[in-house]
Amino acid sequence: MSYNTKLLLIVFLLFSVKCLAQEKIYFGQTEIGFLYGRGVEQWDGNHEERIDVSFMTFHGVHLSKNNVIGFSAGFDQYDEISIIPIALGWRGFLGKEGKPKIFGGLDLGGGSAVFEKKISDEWSKSWYEGGLLVSPSVGISFPSRKDKTALSFSFAYKRQQISQFYGTLSRAGTQRIATDLLPPEFSSLTENSFLFRSFVFRAGLMF
Amino acid sequence: MKSYYAPYSLLFLLSILVFSSCQDDVTTSYTYRTMMPVYLEMSDVRARIITTEPAQPLDNPGKIYIYGDYLFINEPTKGIHILNNSNPAAPINLSFIPIAGNVDMAVNGKILYADNYVDLLAFDISTISKIKLVKRVEDVFTHMYHHETGEIITFRDTVITTENPTWETNGGWLMDSRMSFSSNFSAAAQSYGTGGSMARFTLSNSHLYAVDESTLRVFDVETPADPTFVKPIDLGWGIETIFPFQDKLFIGSNNGMHIYDASTPNSPTRMAVYEHVQACDPVVVNADFAFVTLRNGNACWNGVNELQVIDIKDLYQPKLKKAYSMLNPHGLGLAGDYLYIAEGTHGLKSFNVSDVMAIDQNQLEFLTSQKSVDLIPGPKSLIVIGPDGVCQFDYSNPSKLKKLSCIQVKNPVNFY
Repeated sequence: MSYNTKLLLIVFLLFSVKCLAQEKIYFGQTEIGFLYGRGVEQWDGNHEERIDVSFMTFHGVHLSKNNVIGFSAGFDQYDEISIIPIALGWRGFLGKEGKPKIFGGLDLGGGSAVFEKKISDEWSKSWYEGGLLVSPSVGISFPSRKDKTALSFSFAYKRQQISQFYGTLSRAGTQRIATDLLPPEFSSLTENSFLFRSFVFRAGLMF
Repeated sequence: MKSYYAPYSLLFLLSILVFSSCQDDVTTSYTYRTMMPVYLEMSDVRARIITTEPAQPLDNPGKIYIYGDYLFINEPTKGIHILNNSNPAAPINLSFIPIAGNVDMAVNGKILYADNYVDLLAFDISTISKIKLVKRVEDVFTHMYHHETGEIITFRDTVITTENPTWETNGGWLMDSRMSFSSNFSAAAQSYGTGGSMARFTLSNSHLYAVDESTLRVFDVETPADPTFVKPIDLGWGIETIFPFQDKLFIGSNNGMHIYDASTPNSPTRMAVYEHVQACDPVVVNADFAFVTLRNGNACWNGVNELQVIDIKDLYQPKLKKAYSMLNPHGLGLAGDYLYIAEGTHGLKSFNVSDVMAIDQNQLEFLTSQKSVDLIPGPKSLIVIGPDGVCQFDYSNPSKLKKLSCIQVKNPVNFY
């Protein structure tokens, strides 16, 4: 947690400095919205819907006038699971300067489950591990008349993998057997591998 | 204007995709240790030629047998290591006899008996570098037969990954590593054993007695190279150890100690059963008393941890003399008036037991660093089996044990 946060802060500051020095190069986008998804199919064929909060901040540099690359970080909630998505991203724009623009984006990275508590007792351990994140997006931006900022609305598809582990510990003194499948301290390990597919709507600012 | 259409249609497609066909997926995989049944045809097992192989490192030592200057150390289900122990301070690993399914052995003169799944093998060991199989007694440990067709069932420690949510009852076998058979094998040492289903051997009066979970099997070994199966004797369940003393057999079970009169060696008869609470219980005996350790453990859930001294002056009426509280006593060994007790992870204790009513006041040593599961008071050294390997102590001064050597093992012995 602390390491990731520090990294985020440093990179953020770095870009902020750059932003002050060379206005044209830095691009930032911060948005908040919601995730919508349909849960796992239940025994009767129905799905529970989930709607949760999603926050995203993107910081990048202009490669050309209409292309930006950078990285994004944020916060996504999937039912009870909180994920910090960290990704490399691209944003591309269509449209004239000073007019509403259409933009597209792609973020590739991973989700970190650092907010999820590891539970460990005498007999068992359980924890979460984040996984791959893919998120293409499209949106529209409305530039402000006064300065370089713009209001933005984006729609995105977000594919996030998360694994939940539950292991029962071997009793002390149990013989180890050589295997790659099971860490030696466990006598059994259950992995729930979740694949969340969500539709995301967010609104925010570009600066 | 035209350029606006492409992104809008993309947006449209995206929303269709998300709202119509996409949903969350969850896949669950279960990985667990289990005992996988392995089915073997005895005809295949018998077809294997058994010859002495170069020395192999000790992996997970089981029963130890002292034969002159040599130590035979069983590698449960795999075979027997032969070590030259003429200098207990520096034993030399000589060779290995690969015997599948072997967990126990006994030596009679120049003949080594070993079990090979359902068969009993006799090896000529007069030339230790050239051990050869002289007889195979077929189909004696029949409890291993899966059914009547000559197929036997054994178990292998395995790790399995499955997506079947009913894994815990999958196949109906023991799914818990605590039940690991190899751990039970490793514990099946001389005066000691836990609830495995394997035979345990002892020799007395030109007869070989082998016990498994429920049966005592008698072999006539008057001609050592030609063992013949005499008969099985039903004992009841939970049999663990067998200890011969004079012409009596003391058989330790989960819930008591059986005393058999073997003065007619062909046909031992039951003299008495001394019952105690269910526990794991190795037994050693001298002329007047039997020493039994009871412990809480793997196959004996309700056990108490204590040393019981049982008066056996009247073999038909054994009675409890005194019980002493212990930590987690495993194997034990008696050398004259001195009793050595393997206290599991707690260490190794020695007592002077000349006064059986005051054993607790006559504790000589408590070596807390010497974790141990079993021990054998040998002619040259006290052999102690523990998780760190097979260690030997000079016990010529019983009140002060002196470590001579330790043979390291790859897989430590288990404690339960």
